Amino acid sequence: MKRTLSFLLTLLMTALSFADTYTVDNLPIPYLQDRTHYVSNPDGLLSQTAVDSLNLWLGEMERTHGVQTVLAVVERIEGGETYDFCMALGRKHGIGSKEQNSGLIILLSTGDRAYTILTGRGLEGTLPDAICKRIENYQMLPALREGDWDTAMLNAVRAITKYVDGDDSLVGSSDFDDSDTGALIGFILCMLLGLGIIGFAIWYDERRKSYCPSCKQYKMKKISSYTTRNKRLGIRTHHDTYRCSHCYFTKELHWDENLNSGNGAAAAGGALGGSFFGRGGGSFGGSFGGGSFGGGGASGRF
Amino acid sequence: MKTIKSILLALVATLGLTSCTYNKLVEQEEIVAQKWADVQTQYQRRADLIPNLVNTVKGYAAHESETLEAVVNARTKATQITVDPENLTPEKLAEYQAAQGEVSQALGRLLAITENYPDLKANEQFSELQAQLEGTENRIAESRRIFNEAVQTYNTSVRKFPNNIWAMIFGFEKKTPFAAEAGAEKAPEVQF
Repeated sequence: MKRTLSFLLTLLMTALSFADTYTVDNLPIPYLQDRTHYVSNPDGLLSQTAVDSLNLWLGEMERTHGVQTVLAVVERIEGGETYDFCMALGRKHGIGSKEQNSGLIILLSTGDRAYTILTGRGLEGTLPDAICKRIENYQMLPALREGDWDTAMLNAVRAITKYVDGDDSLVGSSDFDDSDTGALIGFILCMLLGLGIIGFAIWYDERRKSYCPSCKQYKMKKISSYTTRNKRLGIRTHHDTYRCSHCYFTKELHWDENLNSGNGAAAAGGALGGSFFGRGGGSFGGSFGGGSFGGGGASGRF
Repeated sequence: MKTIKSILLALVATLGLTSCTYNKLVEQEEIVAQKWADVQTQYQRRADLIPNLVNTVKGYAAHESETLEAVVNARTKATQITVDPENLTPEKLAEYQAAQGEVSQALGRLLAITENYPDLKANEQFSELQAQLEGTENRIAESRRIFNEAVQTYNTSVRKFPNNIWAMIFGFEKKTPFAAEAGAEKAPEVQF
């Protein structure tokens, strides 16, 4: 009994320790779901206030200078090498625009006591390695040594923003400004598409009904119809009589209508469109532009 | 008439295929050349950092002249060897890699002795130079990786059927990637 218990405990411990170790593939990237979220804080090491500030500043940096950032603070990463992790992350997602290569990855692994600021190829001039190192040594290290992750990250991003703001050659992300228009157009297009599909379905249904099996022409017309209702089942049954205007063949069609579903198709279409493009008022998933990293930046341990 | 037409069609199709293969091989060879240039740029970048680094260390550890000289000499030797992408033969590549590997080892020894000088380590300029050197080593590794990838893509194209026939006719030869174990990647030995 005791052995089983200890075995289970070990198993649980291993499961827990594994859960804290992030790989490039399982590190959550909130930006992909919501483009206003640059910070990946899966272990909750940063306070919500800090995360909000960082998101705000990094969003401003992308809007004005096109610098696309992923900032992650985690307990532990696989391998323990923050530089390798950042490179793999950059390679996987292609952070930063393809034209500017202005991706930026800031990673702090508190359990490994290591950090990296990785600059995209296009940022190496704005943030040379020496500057990254300086930011780390002066803005991050003192706070990191005290375990104050919030201050370290806030200071680092504030300092980086200063350097980025001083570089006028970086241009803001153009699709950022008209994102609302884009969303609106997308929404309208989706609605139109949905309406089109519904319209086509109705037309197709009518055409099918007008098919005369006798003379093989689409000349059947409805000449009479009545409905019966079954309240218990919630069904209304339609009894339609069609007659062909060409050969006077008649046929009867009986079909059930579910009273509880209402006008299902249109509602579903609208809801689908809404959920795709609306996302509760303007915030929706971002995408990375395929920027590349050449190994610039600086790493360190504390 | 019909036979002539079909022969002509076959000829055009073959020619089209050939030019397509040929162009693809040329393109990939160009990419390899470009990636090779990137590799050399990064090594040059490291070479450019060395005088500054040596001077900074000299200020604190003048009597380590042997180690400092070793770095300077290795750098001088390495910068003399540049390889054109056209004659990127296995021998040339090995020579280049060996020369750069010597720089890496000399630098490693230099950085190892700096551990003994707390004042130097606290020097801001040195810390930043070290960061630059580290970044450059990272860039070298990355550019080598990309170069090897390009070589691999090219080699696969050259060896695939029917490309290999055209490659033989037009003289596209297999290229050599960087070997991982050839001194360059060896960790510097620290002797006490």
